[in-house]
Amino acid sequence: MTAAIVALGVVVGLLGVLVVGLLRSHADVLRALHDLGICEDDLAAAGTAEGRRTAGRRTTRTTGEIRMVPGVAAPGASSSLGRLVDVSGVDPHGGAVHIGLEGSRGLTLLAFLSSGCGSCLDFWRAFATDEVEQVPGRDTRVVVVTRGPEEESPSEVAALASDRVTTVMSSAAWDDYDVPVSPYFLLVDGSRGVVGEGAGGSWAQVVDLLRKAAADAGLALDDDRPRFTRRDLLVGRDRELRADRELAAAGIEPGSPELYAPLHAAPGDGADGEDGAR
Amino acid sequence: MTDVSSYGITARLPRGWDARIAKRPDPAGDPAGPSTRAAPEEGISTRSAPAEGDPPGPLAGTEHPVAHLANFPLPPVRGDYGSGAVELMRADDIFVALVEFEPEAASTPLFSHRGIPRFGVNDFSPHTMQRTIAGMCGAQAFFNRNGRAFCLYVVLGSHALRAPLVAQVNALLAGLEIDPL
Repeated sequence: MTAAIVALGVVVGLLGVLVVGLLRSHADVLRALHDLGICEDDLAAAGTAEGRRTAGRRTTRTTGEIRMVPGVAAPGASSSLGRLVDVSGVDPHGGAVHIGLEGSRGLTLLAFLSSGCGSCLDFWRAFATDEVEQVPGRDTRVVVVTRGPEEESPSEVAALASDRVTTVMSSAAWDDYDVPVSPYFLLVDGSRGVVGEGAGGSWAQVVDLLRKAAADAGLALDDDRPRFTRRDLLVGRDRELRADRELAAAGIEPGSPELYAPLHAAPGDGADGEDGAR
Repeated sequence: MTDVSSYGITARLPRGWDARIAKRPDPAGDPAGPSTRAAPEEGISTRSAPAEGDPPGPLAGTEHPVAHLANFPLPPVRGDYGSGAVELMRADDIFVALVEFEPEAASTPLFSHRGIPRFGVNDFSPHTMQRTIAGMCGAQAFFNRNGRAFCLYVVLGSHALRAPLVAQVNALLAGLEIDPL
């Protein structure tokens, strides 16, 4: 009798291990499918006639098909993710504007708008009101980029532009970031380049997308805590990054000859500039 | 390095610097009307040159070109001498304002220095700030170049750590060019 109970226990144990293994394998398969962009609904639909008819479309979806609401531009064929180019152009009144993005602190939202597109009107309106403050992140600045004066009317842009955001007219920026059409938005990090891109039908929708893009990129936008952990500070990561940034700003890159120059400077070569032409 | 140029002023910017070179729009001639993009500081007349030795503020807004150069993101609305921007500065930040005055001022004693000046660490003082901000410092100089009169006003984010910042300022000024009118 005892032997039978022990044998039964062993069998139940083996069956339990088997079930756990199967569940784990199933979870791995689902996770892999999820990573490929296929959800369980798609798998269920695949078993139906409708699912078989749309199998080709689903396949396209897994490779990144995006459906847009009417009036909203589809993203370009090439992604701007990771791209980091300063924006240079003119303001609607003819002055020069240069937005330094490479190495800049905080995030910059580049809003590519035009004066003639109906979908852009909600954004021009929002940027002229307190709604622009909804942009995620304390240090996030909003920069409106229109095409240059050769393609846009400066007076029309001036009439739409708000003093709450910087407006720059630059066709080169549209080319640099392969902007397909307006309205279009790029969230740019000074060290990582474009971390999110896309279009939206309204400012509220874009704000929501920005939060998701920032979260996907690992950026804690509305977090009041310092970006560095206590460990980062103890090991000097903050100081190291700041030193790198300052060296880069001074034009000193890894391998620059200045790094190997003697420490003692010749008389008159001091950094205080007293020998300047004051 | 990137060159930014307008109204006969050209600045060679290091990586990551912001720049604006603008005139405040003429309300009578601009269809878009007046803008505060380069707002005058409070309580100042627009044409008179400041007296030598005066602190830089409150100073005049101007209808002549104003160039703002900074190694941090410039806010959309700023006074000619940086109000609205300097309050956002951190310890390693630099703000440079180049404000032009009427050409007649170029022949006055205040603007008698010829050529774009350079600064030494001792030129910077917390008391040269338009409004004193703890830890920060400023310097100003007047000069003429190619018949044009300018005030150069620089704010540093840290008085204690100003030496490397002054070196950056002077490197920036070395790349500044001013064409004749």
